[in-house]
Amino acid sequence: MNTKELEHILDQSFRSKPDFHLPDDFARQVTRTVVRREQWKTDLFEYLYLSCVLVFLLTVASGFYYFIDKQLVLNVLTYLSGNVIQVALILFILNFILFADRVLLRLLFRSLPHPLQRSGERVGIL
Amino acid sequence: MNDAELINQILNGNSNAFTYLVTRYQKLVVHITGRLIQRQDELEDVCQDVFLKVYQNLGKYRNECRLSTWIATIAYNTSINYLRKFKKGVEVNADDSVALRNLTDFKSDDPEKADLHRYIREQIELLPVHYRTILTLYHLEEFSYQEIEQITGMPEGTVKSYLFRAKALLKEKLRFVVDENSLKSVKEINNEY
Repeated sequence: MNTKELEHILDQSFRSKPDFHLPDDFARQVTRTVVRREQWKTDLFEYLYLSCVLVFLLTVASGFYYFIDKQLVLNVLTYLSGNVIQVALILFILNFILFADRVLLRLLFRSLPHPLQRSGERVGIL
Repeated sequence: MNDAELINQILNGNSNAFTYLVTRYQKLVVHITGRLIQRQDELEDVCQDVFLKVYQNLGKYRNECRLSTWIATIAYNTSINYLRKFKKGVEVNADDSVALRNLTDFKSDDPEKADLHRYIREQIELLPVHYRTILTLYHLEEFSYQEIEQITGMPEGTVKSYLFRAKALLKEKLRFVVDENSLKSVKEINNEY
């Protein structure tokens, strides 16, 4: 065999693809992982946004009532300041429900495998 | 869809565009990563890691090089870090003497071309990591010397030298099938190193 032939075979071998493979639905799998990992940021932003909107609405409503019936608002404030622990507890529970609904539960369900994956079928064909 | 449009779509939250990007570049990533880590069972995790990094850093991509070069850089760095972290026994900077010890001789007087082809492919997998990488980037993925310099961080001269030496090492092992004149030139090449 001469050099030219050898060079040709070497070049051909260098250009041949190595025997490594990825699953057919690799791209979908990666996208699912990325969406799962990145979605919590959107969910958290949505939760913070909703919380701000609720606080804003509450403030506007309080201001509105303050002009209509000042005494009522003052009575409510007196009641709230007299029951700080209970009020704080209720606010914490309501806030937690909102947080769980908007962030925690979504995160939990996304981290679970797809029902079809669990039963051994491939999701990519859907 | 060109790369700039694809990146815009992904940055705007289009997950299908990201699936398309993965499909378009997964061969490039699997060739680089596969040649470096050489483990089919770990390949999927490393490739997934590469694409996660691509997604997380896509906003920092500044069109200074081709998207394929940028993705290849991430694939190369991720694979090298993986080798350094988990494969303690692998010599990332092995020299030619180690490489020559690893390679096996081709001892057939009348080789079939297919045998020779298969033999060379097996020997490529036994070459040191940097040689395998450079061979893959230059011959298989057809990156230029400048692009390989960007991807691996090696100077252009080193890239050329590695390509030359990888070829010389393989030719040395093929001395039984090469005629005398070719053998002489191979010996001259090897004496230079």
